[in-house]
Amino acid sequence: MCRLLNLFRTRLALRATAAILLIVVILGVIFLALGIYLRTLSVEREQSDRIQELLTTVERTAQVGCFLGDAKLTQEVVDGLLSNDIVSSVTVRVGSGAVLASGSSGSGGPASTAISRVIYSPFDAEDAVCNIKLLPDQQQIDALVNKASLFIALALALQLTGIGICVVLVVVRFVTRPITSISHRLSELEAETGQKLKAPRGNRGDEIGQLVVSVNAMIDNLVQSLGEERRLRLEREIEERRYRAIFDTVDAGLFELDDGGRIRVANPAFRRLFDIPLSHDLTREPLLLASCISEGAPEPSELFEAKAGGRDERQWEVGIGDEALRRWVNLSLSPLGVGRLQGVAQDITARKEASDAAERMAVTDPLTGLGNRRGFERRLAVMSRHHRLYPERRHALLMLDFDHFKQINDTYGHHAGDRVLRRVGGILANLIRQRDYVARLGGDEFVVLLEGCADRDDVERLLMRFMEQLQTPVRMRDGEEVTVGASVGIAMLGLDTDDPQQALQYADMAMYAAKRAGRSTWRFHESGRVADPS
Amino acid sequence: MNRVRASLFVLLLATALPASADIAVVVNKDSGISHVSRSDAINIFMGRYRKLPNGHLALPIDLTPLKARFYRALVNKDLATVNSYWARLVFSGEASPPQQLKNEAEVLELISNNANTLGYMDSAHVTSDVHVVLILGE
Repeated sequence: MCRLLNLFRTRLALRATAAILLIVVILGVIFLALGIYLRTLSVEREQSDRIQELLTTVERTAQVGCFLGDAKLTQEVVDGLLSNDIVSSVTVRVGSGAVLASGSSGSGGPASTAISRVIYSPFDAEDAVCNIKLLPDQQQIDALVNKASLFIALALALQLTGIGICVVLVVVRFVTRPITSISHRLSELEAETGQKLKAPRGNRGDEIGQLVVSVNAMIDNLVQSLGEERRLRLEREIEERRYRAIFDTVDAGLFELDDGGRIRVANPAFRRLFDIPLSHDLTREPLLLASCISEGAPEPSELFEAKAGGRDERQWEVGIGDEALRRWVNLSLSPLGVGRLQGVAQDITARKEASDAAERMAVTDPLTGLGNRRGFERRLAVMSRHHRLYPERRHALLMLDFDHFKQINDTYGHHAGDRVLRRVGGILANLIRQRDYVARLGGDEFVVLLEGCADRDDVERLLMRFMEQLQTPVRMRDGEEVTVGASVGIAMLGLDTDDPQQALQYADMAMYAAKRAGRSTWRFHESGRVADPS
Repeated sequence: MNRVRASLFVLLLATALPASADIAVVVNKDSGISHVSRSDAINIFMGRYRKLPNGHLALPIDLTPLKARFYRALVNKDLATVNSYWARLVFSGEASPPQQLKNEAEVLELISNNANTLGYMDSAHVTSDVHVVLILGE
């Protein structure tokens, strides 16, 4: 059963045949029923005709029998009628209703339509003498009908079988075989070589031929698009190789980050820069970018923040390696896709060092190595900001000027002057703490900023040590020794004033006050009062 | 011409005097039967009824020379048919044909002597000894 179903699924011819046979069987059954019905009618009519003939045959005798009321003769007629196998029973009744003669043959059988005939007197055509009522043998009729039906059914069955076989043969010959042959050829076709499918002989012009033409057109299209695809792939490969070459040989470090800030891809330049060995497989063991950076690393959350201003590229300057061997790298990151960043890393160490040096140079007094005016102003600006933030903290501003320095220059030459300036600068630099600042503003004018110095006593202690050290003479090249004195004016930022420029002015004024007081001394700015340490 | 005229005359005579050609069904004068219908006559002569209208047994008589004409007039059948009718009935024995007489004189005699008899003759030859109950025109 299962196999048959499978055959049905796989065989077009069988399915077509089954469908056609089904239709033919249904039609056949309808025709058979119609045929049997018509045959029954015709058999019944024939039987009726026969019976009428029989009645006509015996009519004369029946007339005589009835006319005379001769039971014997009438019975003879009845028996004669009954001897026909199509007659089931006969009853002869005279006008008064009495039965003159009757008889029936064999089994009763199913009821059937009675046939009756009025018998007239042989001598008077208007004088009805009796009535013959005759029942046809329904069984006999049925048997005849059955025989006829059997014949029709048999003929129909034979016809069906014939049609079925013909349909199978036709379908196999005209449909299944060409399709199978096309299917075979199609499976063996090497379309890439431009081979075409051939239609089976005899099917070139019909629907199967059209199918083959359509398949060929489709193959053409496919081959064409395949070629196009291949060309594009080749182009992409070349592109990729080009990119790979750039990626591998370029000096700039190229890399990609994932959404966790991990390095997923890095070119050799990047590996050299960040000291990642070439053997380290980043795709399997990604490194955190932050772990490679010692200073200024961007936070992972910063990486994907949308930058105001619309530009996608963002830059960081980061330091790598120990303090001593610090290298500076500029990282430029731009989004590559969802959760992916592309970065370029440039070694800017040399540039940064150069700019740092230039920066230092700009704020340094070349003679003493201390800060210059520009450095001091910058420092004062910082201090000013600092003071605004923390107004309760106090700072001391010392203004220092040598006494009779011009004479040293005039007497011993500029070299000697420079020597003295260097010496004093050295003393000052030694006296102050790390966070304090000393600058030569120009000529013999120095300024000292003591950060966080709230106590005048502390300042005085420092100045006493300074004055003491200043007593040590400076030896000139020709063996002579020179001693210089200095006048110092002090203003306290946060105490005397909150404005640094004002404080500078106060310190300057205090310095002149010290000069007026006899030189080699110091004076604090104090509204109205100038302290004398001596 | 005379022959034709004579034939025409005879024909005219025949139609003008039908009684001379008719067949009369007669019974005994004293039977008390005044009239017999045509169908009664058929029933009696063809053996169906064996009784006269008066209830007596009926004895129909055939007159051989007039037999063909009589049955033609009565049932419109030729003699062969009538004979075959009787031949059929011989088998069952239920009915028998009328008695056969050769001439009218015998018929007259038999009727005169027997009140149950029923016979027929040319109406022209009817005598007062018998009573006509039915005239059959030809």
